[in-house]
Amino acid sequence: MNEPVGRFTTAKTINRGFGVAPALSKGIGVTFVLAVVGSLARVVIPVTIQQTIDKGLRPGDVRIGFIVQMAIVAAVCVMVASVALRQAVFRLGVGAENGLYTMRVKLFEHIHRLSLADHNDERRGALVSRVTSDIETLTMFFSWGALVWLLDGSLMVVVACVMLSYDWILALVAFAVSAPLYFVLRNLQRRLVAAYDIARENNAELLGSISELVAGTETLRAYQAHAPMLRKSKQAVRKRADAQIRAGVIGAFLFPSGEVFAVFTIVAIVCVGIFRGVDSGLTAGSMVGFVFLTYRFLEPIAEFTEVVDQTQTAVAGLRRVLGVLDTPIGPPQASNPLALPNRDLKIELKDVSFSYSSRLDTQDDDLPVLRQINLEIPAHQHVALVGESGSGKTTLARLIARLADPTIGSVSLGGVNLKRVANDELRRRLVVVPQEPFLFAESIAHNLKFAAPHAEREELENVISKLELTDWIRSLPDGLETQVGQRGASLSAGERQLVALARAALTNPDILILDEATSAVDAIAEVRLAKALQALSLGRTTISIAHRLSTAARADRVIVLEHGLVKEDGTHEGLIAKGGEYAKIYAQWLSATSSQK
Amino acid sequence: MVSVVDESVTSDSPNSEAKSRLKEAAGLIAKIVKFHPRLFVIAVSGAALFAVCTVASSIGLRWVIDEVILVRFNENRSDAGALAIGSAIIIGIGLLRAFGVVIRRSFAGKTEWRTAETITDRVLDHVVAQPVKWHRSRMTGDIVARCGIDSDASVSILAPLPFSSSVLVMMVVSAAWMLYVDITLGVVAVCVFPILLSLNIGYQRRIDRYYNQAQKELGTLSEAVHESFDGVMVVKSFGAEQRETARLADITARLRDARIDAVAIRSMFEAMLDAIPTLINIALIVLGALRVKSGDMTVGELSSFIYLFSLLMFPLRIIGYLFSEIPHSVAGWRRVNEVLSEPIGSDPALKISRSPQDVAIQIENLSYAHNHGSKVIDGLSLKVMKGETVALVGATGCGKTTLLHLMTGLLEPSGGSISVGDGGVALVFQEAFLFADTLAYNITLGAEIPAERQERAIDIAQCREFVDALETGLDTTMGERGVSLSGGQRQRVALARAIAHDRALLLLDDTTSALDPATEAKVINNLRSLAGRQTVLVVASRPSTIALADEVLFMADGRISDRGTHDELLRRSPKYQELIRAFEDDRQKK
Repeated sequence: MNEPVGRFTTAKTINRGFGVAPALSKGIGVTFVLAVVGSLARVVIPVTIQQTIDKGLRPGDVRIGFIVQMAIVAAVCVMVASVALRQAVFRLGVGAENGLYTMRVKLFEHIHRLSLADHNDERRGALVSRVTSDIETLTMFFSWGALVWLLDGSLMVVVACVMLSYDWILALVAFAVSAPLYFVLRNLQRRLVAAYDIARENNAELLGSISELVAGTETLRAYQAHAPMLRKSKQAVRKRADAQIRAGVIGAFLFPSGEVFAVFTIVAIVCVGIFRGVDSGLTAGSMVGFVFLTYRFLEPIAEFTEVVDQTQTAVAGLRRVLGVLDTPIGPPQASNPLALPNRDLKIELKDVSFSYSSRLDTQDDDLPVLRQINLEIPAHQHVALVGESGSGKTTLARLIARLADPTIGSVSLGGVNLKRVANDELRRRLVVVPQEPFLFAESIAHNLKFAAPHAEREELENVISKLELTDWIRSLPDGLETQVGQRGASLSAGERQLVALARAALTNPDILILDEATSAVDAIAEVRLAKALQALSLGRTTISIAHRLSTAARADRVIVLEHGLVKEDGTHEGLIAKGGEYAKIYAQWLSATSSQK
Repeated sequence: MVSVVDESVTSDSPNSEAKSRLKEAAGLIAKIVKFHPRLFVIAVSGAALFAVCTVASSIGLRWVIDEVILVRFNENRSDAGALAIGSAIIIGIGLLRAFGVVIRRSFAGKTEWRTAETITDRVLDHVVAQPVKWHRSRMTGDIVARCGIDSDASVSILAPLPFSSSVLVMMVVSAAWMLYVDITLGVVAVCVFPILLSLNIGYQRRIDRYYNQAQKELGTLSEAVHESFDGVMVVKSFGAEQRETARLADITARLRDARIDAVAIRSMFEAMLDAIPTLINIALIVLGALRVKSGDMTVGELSSFIYLFSLLMFPLRIIGYLFSEIPHSVAGWRRVNEVLSEPIGSDPALKISRSPQDVAIQIENLSYAHNHGSKVIDGLSLKVMKGETVALVGATGCGKTTLLHLMTGLLEPSGGSISVGDGGVALVFQEAFLFADTLAYNITLGAEIPAERQERAIDIAQCREFVDALETGLDTTMGERGVSLSGGQRQRVALARAIAHDRALLLLDDTTSALDPATEAKVINNLRSLAGRQTVLVVASRPSTIALADEVLFMADGRISDRGTHDELLRRSPKYQELIRAFEDDRQKK
C-alpha cells in the first residue's frame, strides 16, 4: 500500500492479482503439463506421415502391418492428448471463474465500505465498471488470451522440438525464414489497433450525432432546421463506414500474411533439403513432415500477436481493480466496540473540524467544510440546521451519523466516542433519511424490510398505521406488495419519501437525521408527509437539515451555520428577537411569500 | 440486444423458432445484398479464388512431393528444373490464395459497412420525417439504438457470408478432386465433410445457448451493481454492507456457475472437435497406404490429401460463427424494420392557419388530450394583438408548455383551431437544448443569418459578456468536448437563437427562470424594445417578470380563466394570489 498500484510492473500486478484471488494460480503447473500433453495431438499427423513414407511406403516395399500398428499408436496418442487438452481448458476456465468470483465479491465488500467521498456521482460510474467491465476484460482474457498463451505456447515448443529432432539445420532454416513474420504481424497489428481506435471514435461521434438529432428533434422542428443536422449525421455515418472499411483492409492484409510466410518457408526448406540430399541423413518422409510442421508452427503466431494486446488490456483492468482495493475504506470499524447506554443518547461534538481533501491524492487543500464546532444536543430535542448550501449543514449531519469521521476533534453519542461504537449498534440507534430517498426496484414491503430484514408482516403494518399511512398503502394497486420500479420511479417523489420514513421508523431509532427534500410535492402528499414526520419524530432526537424556514420555525432549536462555523444557536423566537442573521433570512422569506412586490 | 438473448434462451420450441429464424435470415440476406451487389460479388469472387487456390495448393504439393522430393530421396536424382517449377508453383498458388483472401476480406468489409451506411441513412430519413408526437412516444435511447446498433447488427450477417460461401466451394471442389483421383478416399471425404460441418454448427448453437445464459446473468449482475452502488447511502445508513455484499455475491455465483457450465461444454467439444479430424486423418493414411500399395495412388497424392484435409478443418471450425450471428442479425433487422415500415405521421404545423392582420395569435376552442386521455387543454380561446408583450401564468402542470407547443406546430390539437400572423414563430424551450457544435451554429442552426443580426441577438439576450470572455468567441465548441455553460447561459444562448431567427412571434417557455432577477429584467426590457415588431408571449412565475408584461393571461382548468394586468389579477382573483405565493414558496426552497 506504500506504493500505488498504478506504478506496478506487469509481473508485480499479476502477482498481486494472484494474491487477491488465489484460485487464479492454483494448480497452474499441472494445467501447463496437461496443455503440453494436449498439444501433442497436433504433431501426430506430421509424424505419422513421416513414418509412413519413410518406413511404410518405401519404393517396392509397402509394409501395411507397420502402418496399421503406427496408426493405432497415433490414435491412442490423439485420444490421450485430447483428454489432457480437455482437462487443461477446463481447469483453466474453472480456476479463472472461481478466482474472478472471489475478486468481485472482495470488490463489492470493499466498495460498500468506502467513504461517501469516494461514492460521489463522478466516481460511481467508475466503481460500477471496476466490478463489471474491468473484471470482464479479465474474463475475456482467461477464455481466450490465457488459453492461447497456454495451448499455442506449448504447441510451438512441441513443434519446434520435433523439427529440431528431425534435422536441426532445416529447423533453423524454417525459424530464420519465418521469424520476420512476427515483426510483420506486430506492425500490421499495431496499425489495425490504431485503425480500430479511429473507427471506435468515429462510431462514438456517429452515435453522438444521432443522439443529438433525435434528442434535439423538437428544437430542430421548431426552427425547421433538420436538414443541416441530418447532413451532419450522414457525414458521421459515412466517416464511420470509411474508418471501418480501412480497418477491414488492414485486417485483410494481416490475415493471410502467415500463409505467405509459410509458402516461402516451405520452398526454402525444400530447396535446402534437396541441395543437401540423402547423404545428410534427411529422408523423404521428414521432408514432407517438415512441410506439415511448418504450418503448425506458423499457425499460432498470428494469434499471439493479437493476444499481446488483449493481455495488456487485461493487466490494465486488473491494475484498476487493485487500485480500488487499495483505496482505504470509509470510517474504519471499531476494533474493541463499547456498548451505547440504553437510553437518552446525548450528542456531543468537541472541536470538530472536517475537510474533504484529507485524501492524499488530491492536490488542492481547500478550506475546511467545518471548523471548530462544539455542540451538545440533549436527547429528544428537535434541532433544525439552517444555512446556505455549502455552509456545512449536510456534512455536520454526516459526522453525527458517522458516515464520515471528523478530521480533527470527536463526536460522541451517550458519552461514547463514535469511533468506538459498533457499526451494527449505531445503525440500530440512529437512522438517516436522505434528501432523495433511494428505493430498490422491488415491492414496498421489500424496501421497508431493508431496514429490518427479519421484521414480520405485522410489524410493517404497525409502523404504517403509526405513521397514518394505512390509507395510502390501501390506495395502491397491490398494497404493500406494490412494485416501486427502478429507483422507485413508479412512485411520486412524495411517496418515495413516505416509504423512506416508514423504513426509518421500522428500526425504531433513538436519533433521526432528516435531510429535507427540496423537490416539490403535491398538496395531498405534503399533508401526509407532515403527519408521518410528526409521528416519526415523536420521542426521538431529530436533526433536520432544513431547506424550508417553516420547518425551522417548528423546531425546538435552530442552529445557523455559515462557512463551516456555528453562526447562531437558539430557539426560533429567541433568534428572531436577537435580530441577527437568522432574523434577516426569515424576514426575507416572509416578504417574498407575501403577495406584495 | 437483451431481447435477443431472452428469445433464444426461453423459446419453447427452439427448433421451429430456429427454422423460422433461418428463413427470416435468408430473406434478410436476399434483401440487404441488393443494396451493394457489386461489392458483394467481388467479395464472393475473392472467396472463390481462395477456395480454388486452396485445392490447387494441395495439387501443387503433390507435384513437388512426387516430382522433386521423392525423386531426390528415393532415386537420388537432382532435377534443378523441377525444383524451380515446384517452387514457382507453391509460391504462385500461395500468393494467389493470399490475394483471394485480401479481396474477400476487404470487400466483405466494404459490403458490410456500406450496407450499414445505407440502412442507417434510411432510418435517419424516416426518423427525422416523423412528427414530435412519434418521438415523444419513444425513448431517445431506443431510437438512437435503432439507427446505430441495430442497423450495424442487421448487417453483421454479411461479413462472414463470402467466407462461408468459399467454404462451400472448397468442399465441393476438393470432394470432386478427391473423387477424381481416388474413388475410395473421395467417398470417405465426401461423407466426412457434412458430418464435421453439422457437428461444428451443432456445437456452436449449443455453446451459444450457454453463453447467452451467462450474458443474461451478467446483465442482471450489472443492473444489481448499479442499483446497489446508487443506494450506497441507504446501505450505509442501515448498516447493510454485508447483506448487500452477500446479495451481490449470490448473483455473481450464478454468473460464475453459468460460465463454468459453458467452459465444461466448451472444453469437451474443443477437445473432441480437435481429435475427430485427426483420427479421420489417421484412418485416411492407412486407407491411402493401401491404395499406394495397390498402385492406384502416389505417395504425393496421399500426402496432399492429408494436407488438404488439414487445411479444410479450420474453415469448417469457424463456419459455426456464421450461425451464431444469425439471431443477433435478425433481431437487429426486425427492430430496424419496425421503424422503416411505419407510415410517416402528419405534420401538425401544416394545420396552423394565417391570422387576420394586426392579430398575432388567434386560438378558438382549442383542446388537447395526452395519449392516456386526460384533457390538458379544454376549450381554450385567446387572442393576442401584434406587438404586445403578454405573460402566461398558471400552476405547474396546467398545460402552459403544451399550449406553446401547439402554437409552434409541434403537437396536433384534438380540437379547435390555431392561427398565427405572418413572419413565423420562434419558441424558446423550457430546457435549452444546445448542440455539440460551435456557438455560432447553435444560434443559426445552419440557417443563413447575417453576422450583424447574430451579434444583435447576442446583445439582446445578454450573452455578450460570456461570449466575449471565450477565447474563440462564437467559434467555440459547446458540450462534451467543448465549453460547458451554466444553466442561465444556456438559456440565454437559446434566447439569442430565437431572436436571431427574427420571427414575428416569440414564445418564451419559463426561459428566464434560470437567470438572476437583474439579468432577467434586462432581457425582458430588451425584448420590449423590440415591441412594435415582435410579439412576445412569456410563461412566467416571478412577479418581477410578470409585471413587465402589458397583460397577464391566467391559465387554469385547461383554459384562460382570467386576463388583465398583474395588479388587477392580484386584487380580484384569490386563486391567482395563492398561485403567486406558492411560486415564491417554491423558490425559497431552492
